[in-house]
Amino acid sequence: MSPAQPEALAPAAPFRAARGSIHVAGVAKAYGATTVLTGLDLTVEAGTFVTLLGPSGCGKTTLLRLIAGFIQPSAGKIAIDGRDMAGLPPQRRPIGMVFQNLALFPHFSVEENVAYGLRLRNVPETELRRKVKTFLDLVGLGHLGNRRISQLSGGQKQRVALARSLVLEPSILLLDEPLSALDLQLRKQLQVALKEIQRELGTTFVFVTHDQEEATLMSDRIVVMSAGAIQQYDTPPAIYSQPANLFVAKFVGELNEIPGRIAAVTAGTIEIDGPGGRHALPASGLRGFSPAAGASCVIGLRPERIAILPPDADAGGRIALPGTVIERIALGPVLRFILRCGEQRLVAVRLASDGAALPEAGSTCRIAFDPADAQVFEPLAAPAAASFGEKP
Amino acid sequence: MTETQPASPAKALLLLPVLVLLGLFFVSVFQLFSNGFADADGWSLRYFRQILNRSDYQVIFARTILSSLTVALLSVALSYPIALLLWRLERWRNTLLIVVLVPWLVSLVVRTYGWLVLLGPKGVINGMLAWTGIVHQPLALMFNDLGIVIGLTHVLIPFAVISILSSLLAIESNLEEASGVLGASRFQTFRRIVLPLSLPGAFTALIVIFLASIGAIVTPIVLGGMSHQFVGSQIYQEVMYTFNLNKAAAWSICLLAISFLSLLLLKAIERRLIGTLE
Repeated sequence: MSPAQPEALAPAAPFRAARGSIHVAGVAKAYGATTVLTGLDLTVEAGTFVTLLGPSGCGKTTLLRLIAGFIQPSAGKIAIDGRDMAGLPPQRRPIGMVFQNLALFPHFSVEENVAYGLRLRNVPETELRRKVKTFLDLVGLGHLGNRRISQLSGGQKQRVALARSLVLEPSILLLDEPLSALDLQLRKQLQVALKEIQRELGTTFVFVTHDQEEATLMSDRIVVMSAGAIQQYDTPPAIYSQPANLFVAKFVGELNEIPGRIAAVTAGTIEIDGPGGRHALPASGLRGFSPAAGASCVIGLRPERIAILPPDADAGGRIALPGTVIERIALGPVLRFILRCGEQRLVAVRLASDGAALPEAGSTCRIAFDPADAQVFEPLAAPAAASFGEKP
Repeated sequence: MTETQPASPAKALLLLPVLVLLGLFFVSVFQLFSNGFADADGWSLRYFRQILNRSDYQVIFARTILSSLTVALLSVALSYPIALLLWRLERWRNTLLIVVLVPWLVSLVVRTYGWLVLLGPKGVINGMLAWTGIVHQPLALMFNDLGIVIGLTHVLIPFAVISILSSLLAIESNLEEASGVLGASRFQTFRRIVLPLSLPGAFTALIVIFLASIGAIVTPIVLGGMSHQFVGSQIYQEVMYTFNLNKAAAWSICLLAISFLSLLLLKAIERRLIGTLE
């Protein structure tokens, strides 16, 4: 199905291409003395699945509610479809919203929930019936139209909430942690279903979650937020492999943090004093800061980038440190190793299929990594997030 | 905790208060019925005939039912906006709720006599109306059905406020936001979402107040005067002044029957009404 344009939202051609785009410029939000958002800039391309990801209190829900129009920004502008949304209430914005608690109307049937927005728009009965059916089929509930809301399972309620919003064919669908109340199995099913529906309709989805795995699985692009600011806005692979700073690296995926001190900075290389002596790392591993000699830093290593070798093996040009295997845990397709290297505790992940060549728990080993895989971060400042609240 | 616990004599003791209450209830109802149907030589419908055949008594029945219905409708209509206000003013809700309930701190009799002061021919309201020149003859605000309705509505309104407020509070917090995003104006949201979802509370209030009003005694006696009796106040008179316990019992059985039938009727209407709104 193609996302047909409601007449009211089909202006001149140049705007048409931008239907579903969001432009956030310098948006800040404060409640009294409490700053919740600090001047955000964000451009969402039409038709993308964007996730606002961050810990609770980072301002992601506030940003969503600003886009929805439930609250107005203290500063800055928000444009949807190229139109400035300043002062417009939610009902005058081309948006749909799926709430965390779904907010289905308990006194209506499934069909009437989906039909609600169409009835408000005085859509003729035959067209209304057709649309309701189309969208109930889309979410896989075509056979349950006459059910009462109380007779549905959690997953079915999700689908009703989705259909109720999508039937109005909004430019943008905002989803406020709609899957957080579901059990893992159902959650995974619905993540896939949501992504498929988004791809089929081409509607822009803005999805809020604190679950980095969910964000990585579903999104075209992720906005990583913390302390009321956007830390990084990129595709999931880019965020994983090129995190903008230590916060992002820690929040998305697992990270081994090795404290170090910068000894010298030369063109193309940084020398760092860390466990096992001085190591030269390529400057391409620097993440978002320009180090000076003597500054403390954090060397970040993803668990799958750490190799575990027998004690006498040749490291083959890699940096290698002596260590001990503390634990070896089989997790289906992968093996998870807890290692110790001096005082440093490290996590390594290897493929289970390579398990025969890998040491058992308790044995000594060499811990090796390619200098190109090491990322160098500025240490996190003392929790700056303390002054930021979720909502008053 | 297991589902089946061994029965112990100590636990059986817990049933005792319930049994005592049930026993008293059935004994008194039995007493009531035996009094109502009694006669010098066995059973008869004598007292019922005495009541139902007299036209002045039929007026009392009609007054009781119609006034109670008016009181119930008026209470719900007046308290709906109050409940809505309490629902909206989250910060002031508890304080305002106390204000709504304060009349209950004063005895019913005292409050009803208070209305005499307000409603009498030389009372506060007529005094003000005469002083402003709106009326020249004092309005008859009491010793009639109007007085009874005013008094009972005042007494019973808090029930309606609480009942409606509780059904408003049961509405999920962001249904209104959801309705707004889907394009509804504030009025449409009220009419299609808030009102239907609060209707069960309003209807419960209607039923409770109707039943409470239909059995009223004090208010009709004080504000209705001698000429405007309710069934309840008539029973009171039969017991306290004419000492005709058999007739009082017959009255009571009639009242019980009316209450019971109205309850069934109102419940049927409720099902129908709330059914159609969905």
